[in-house]
Amino acid sequence: MSLFKARDWWSTILGEKEEFDQGCLCVADVDNSGSGQDKVIVGSYKGYLRIFNPHPVKPGDEVQPEDLLLEVLLREPILQVEVGKFVSGTEGLHLAVLHCRKLCVYAVSGTQGNVEHGNQYQIKLMYEHNLQRTACNMTYGPFGGVKGRDFICIQSMDGMLMLFEQESYAFGRFLPGFLLPGPLAYSSRTDSFITVSSCQQVESYKYQVLAFATDADERQDTEQQKLSSGKRLAVDWVLNIGEQALDICIVSFNQGVSSVFVLGERNFFCLKDNGQIRFMKKLDYSPSCFVPYCSVREGTINTLIANHSKMLNVYQDVTLKWATQLPCIPVSVKVANFQDLKGVIVTLSDDGHLQCSYLGTDPSLFQAPKVDSREINYEEMNAEMKELQKIIREATKTQDILPESEKQRDVTVTAEVSPDLDEESQAIDSEVKAGAVPSVTVKITIQSRVTAQKPSLAVCVQAPLAVTCDQFVFDDLEPDSSETVVLSVFLKESCSPPELEGTCMVSYNIPTGIPRVSQCNFSLPLKLVCIPAQPSKAAGHKLTIDTNKPPISFVTIFPDFVDPSEGDQANALGFQFLTGSKTTLLASKTSQRYRIQSDQLEDLWLVTKELIHRLEEHFKKQNCKDFACTFSGSIPLQEYFELIDRHFELRLNAEKYQELLSERAVQFRAIERRLLTRFKDKTPAPLQHLDTLLEGTFREV
Amino acid sequence: PAGEMGLEPLFQAWSYFRRRKFRECADVCSQLLERPPGEQILYFLLTLIQAAWNLKTRALTEMVYVDEIDMDQEGIADIILDENAIAQVARPGTSLKLPGTSQGGGPSPAVRPVTQSGRPITGFVRPSTQSGRPSTMEQAIRTPRTALTARPITSASGGYVRPGTASMLTNPDGPFINLSRLNLTKYAQKPKLAKALFEYIFHHENDIKNALDLAALATEYAQFKDWWWKVQIGKCYYRLGLYREAEKQFKSALKQQDMVDTILYLAKVYLRLDQPVTALNLFKQGLERFPGEVTLICGIARIYEEMNNISTAAEYYKDVLKQDNTHVEAIACIGSNHFYSDQPEIALRFYRRLLQMGVYNCQLFNNLGLCCFYAQQYDMTLSSFERALFLAENEEETADVWYNLGHVAVGIGDLNLAYQCFKLTLVNNNDYAEAYNNLAVLEMRKGHTEQARALLQTASSLAPHMYEPHFNVAILSEKVGDLQRSYTAAQKSEEAFPGHVDTQQLLKQLKEHFAML
Repeated sequence: MSLFKARDWWSTILGEKEEFDQGCLCVADVDNSGSGQDKVIVGSYKGYLRIFNPHPVKPGDEVQPEDLLLEVLLREPILQVEVGKFVSGTEGLHLAVLHCRKLCVYAVSGTQGNVEHGNQYQIKLMYEHNLQRTACNMTYGPFGGVKGRDFICIQSMDGMLMLFEQESYAFGRFLPGFLLPGPLAYSSRTDSFITVSSCQQVESYKYQVLAFATDADERQDTEQQKLSSGKRLAVDWVLNIGEQALDICIVSFNQGVSSVFVLGERNFFCLKDNGQIRFMKKLDYSPSCFVPYCSVREGTINTLIANHSKMLNVYQDVTLKWATQLPCIPVSVKVANFQDLKGVIVTLSDDGHLQCSYLGTDPSLFQAPKVDSREINYEEMNAEMKELQKIIREATKTQDILPESEKQRDVTVTAEVSPDLDEESQAIDSEVKAGAVPSVTVKITIQSRVTAQKPSLAVCVQAPLAVTCDQFVFDDLEPDSSETVVLSVFLKESCSPPELEGTCMVSYNIPTGIPRVSQCNFSLPLKLVCIPAQPSKAAGHKLTIDTNKPPISFVTIFPDFVDPSEGDQANALGFQFLTGSKTTLLASKTSQRYRIQSDQLEDLWLVTKELIHRLEEHFKKQNCKDFACTFSGSIPLQEYFELIDRHFELRLNAEKYQELLSERAVQFRAIERRLLTRFKDKTPAPLQHLDTLLEGTFREV
Repeated sequence: PAGEMGLEPLFQAWSYFRRRKFRECADVCSQLLERPPGEQILYFLLTLIQAAWNLKTRALTEMVYVDEIDMDQEGIADIILDENAIAQVARPGTSLKLPGTSQGGGPSPAVRPVTQSGRPITGFVRPSTQSGRPSTMEQAIRTPRTALTARPITSASGGYVRPGTASMLTNPDGPFINLSRLNLTKYAQKPKLAKALFEYIFHHENDIKNALDLAALATEYAQFKDWWWKVQIGKCYYRLGLYREAEKQFKSALKQQDMVDTILYLAKVYLRLDQPVTALNLFKQGLERFPGEVTLICGIARIYEEMNNISTAAEYYKDVLKQDNTHVEAIACIGSNHFYSDQPEIALRFYRRLLQMGVYNCQLFNNLGLCCFYAQQYDMTLSSFERALFLAENEEETADVWYNLGHVAVGIGDLNLAYQCFKLTLVNNNDYAEAYNNLAVLEMRKGHTEQARALLQTASSLAPHMYEPHFNVAILSEKVGDLQRSYTAAQKSEEAFPGHVDTQQLLKQLKEHFAML
């Protein structure tokens, strides 16, 4: 990412569907014009060789036909093009073209025409070498310190360095431990070849050592020994860089110091002559190619690194000096001098986009795409806004976080408790000691007026009571349909319930996806938890209720508990809870009072509540509105408090146990951890009974 | 196209690899590796096959390669069974586990919001800034799991989810390399194959155990002289949670060869061991060896930021920019730092720079919008938010934008709009604690006490690390006369933000009340 983009000076697209890679671009004054004007030489895998001489009238001009000096089809893929002093007897520059199995050296010359577009250029084959092995890449230089001549070294795909002293083949050597070819470069200062091997090492081989090693060609029959040929071809120095390299460049801009630049897949290294790291830089992108081009400040070297995110970065050693955007991902980058312009960046992409560009403060500000702006009609907008606001207001009025009002129910739930106990008890797993635990049937009906998706019904009763089944899931309900389920309620645990009520709840989604809930309550008969019994006179706790109406016969209000044969004179009624305790209800004959008595304080409640409830019902039926119950005696607070204390104590105990449990859990994990360290230790130490401790703690948990 | 013009297939594959066309490279290699059965394998063919195999391995690895240094996620099991805890109570400034061990220079939570672990929100999302470590399993489980606050990741060591997992790439014919049939000893003795194979196992197959076996054999074969293998063993140990062993390997590797990557790995180990000061020293030593290395400076800045030492962090981020002025993370962090230190105009410039550089996403426009608003450039505010909404990729981002719009609406006094914005936030992201809190304040102003209370309770249960909901509950309760509740809420607020003056005043006032009673 950068603010700037490379300014296009001259660019063209080469051929159609041709492929290019690293070696395919070369920049040099190949026709020895002497003007110091570089030409751009491009070879393609399709076999086309092109030479350009870009000279636009003004930057960004279209390509003129005369810019293309030469285009020839060489019939074989061109892997690499290099320019050097390859022909003996002359110091003129010649063009070396590397094919898969052939190395050709050409002389490029031009004849001046009368006008500029009349200039003619041609290539002349000086010599060629057929190669025994498939070539991969090559490097050149004054091997062995020879003056005024360049020799060529070709690396083959199977790891042989083939050296050519101009027109003659010198020798070939296999690189030890070779698998895949890496980049190859020649350092004239140390007279050695530097490559990056498949072992992810930078390796340097002296030319001298190569020359005097046993000739690989003679030993082809014993190729098996090649792998162990380290002693034959001794490496000068090795640096393990821990990654594969894309390219190597060796430059020496100031006297005496030369640097080996290695572009790895993730790092960028600069090495000294002896293979020590001068500096390195971790790249946070995938580089594609690079070229160190000059030294602007004493002791530093500037490098261009292009990457796969279409950026070209200029580094001075490790400091980023400039970053610029390119139109495509380059596979090769060079710096060239043209007639009127020095230091032009030449880039070639793998699909043949050849560009000469220069850096400039041409801002390539990122233009955010426009959000489509509609023509604004304020009146319409206003109307729409008003409409929407109205809807919002309506919506906020009716539905909010607080539950919506009851009247508009889409789904209604009704529960019907059957008046009689089940003939055959449905109770399961009841802990009550009494012989037969009765149960009562509850029928729950769900009626839906709209489509209700995924409705599920939950029935819940308070603890000592239980239901036979508390969860129901239905298929989606159609509008105006209903579902009915039947279940039974019974006393499960051995204590009296605090209330005889239950709730059922339906949750569902309406088609728009909003979850909804509807619920209803039902009350259970007293008979579920107690049976009639003989009244007892004596009791520990008593409660007297005053009313403002004459007492009613128990036959009328407790028909289900009084045996009708006893006549309506019965003024005492006994209840026996399934848990065993008894409660007696007495009605005063003279005063308007009822008395409830029991040995246990808590048992008074259910009967009292039931009595008041039934009395109220009774008087309501008689249209008597001013009925009231009062309690005049002192409230048995003392006993009540005792119960509260006891409850509190139990709670504290529960908390204590919970704490204990979590403590044990922590201990358990601590032991686990100790064991883990023990087992991880390289020297096995005795477990020191940690295993016993672990088991013990586990049992405690 | 290979061979069409007489290009050698292996050369073609090699060229594809260099141009990072891995799919094509792997295809060409596969063709090369398809051999008629019973064919006699001559020596030259063997090398060819090895080369193709090596190239394909590397290509497949590169397809899923993610820099290991950036990979970090700590699962809940790792946190709990962390046997590396050194000191339970760290001295201030030496640990990342204790939030708020700042040595001055850090802004207060009233100005800059904090994450659940009590660290200021940074300007750049990066994987694993060490999340707040719960001290017990119970606490870890109880920690609320919302999408945006540090959610404990319920994964054991090694269960890393990688972007572009390998399974997507495996060809229908089954995996390229069948690890169970591999003779690791044999490969370990061929260093040129072993390195590629290791990376394949580690990155592509994600099979740490086998990778470790191979690395152990290979380093033995190399007579412990290859630092690369030591780093790889360290990486494996790190993945397996054996930090001390990893540290040993990295240190040994560094002794052999100074490498930036090794330093970064070692620092990562120290951070995991909660020794930020050691990591800092390591980075500084590394900088002496590799002056101007951006990743090292950036590492220092990140540590300072996590230790709440914002001003020093900003200094180092500026150093980063001196070395690499296109560093997005540094720009974003400096920008957010300026924003939270009340300099929205300067922050705006940093964010604008990011925009010019081509960062084009919802978050950036969100920040731009806020900066514009606080810098009183109202005309740009709404259009920025409009773009942010346009660019939002998921509901969380949309929620963020609406939340900020709500802020703007509060700022210009349009409470109705604010109300609707916050509502929209909640529609998009149901556990946005801040929105609940702000909605509650609006409800409070309307006089809907009960609703406000419900909202505040939701907010405080979603984000117990925020002091605002607690404080608001305290105020609300105090107003309606529920002093007891007010007192407990105020205490919670003080816990979340000890330096909040209003809370302290309220507490003092309440204490006076209680004393009077």
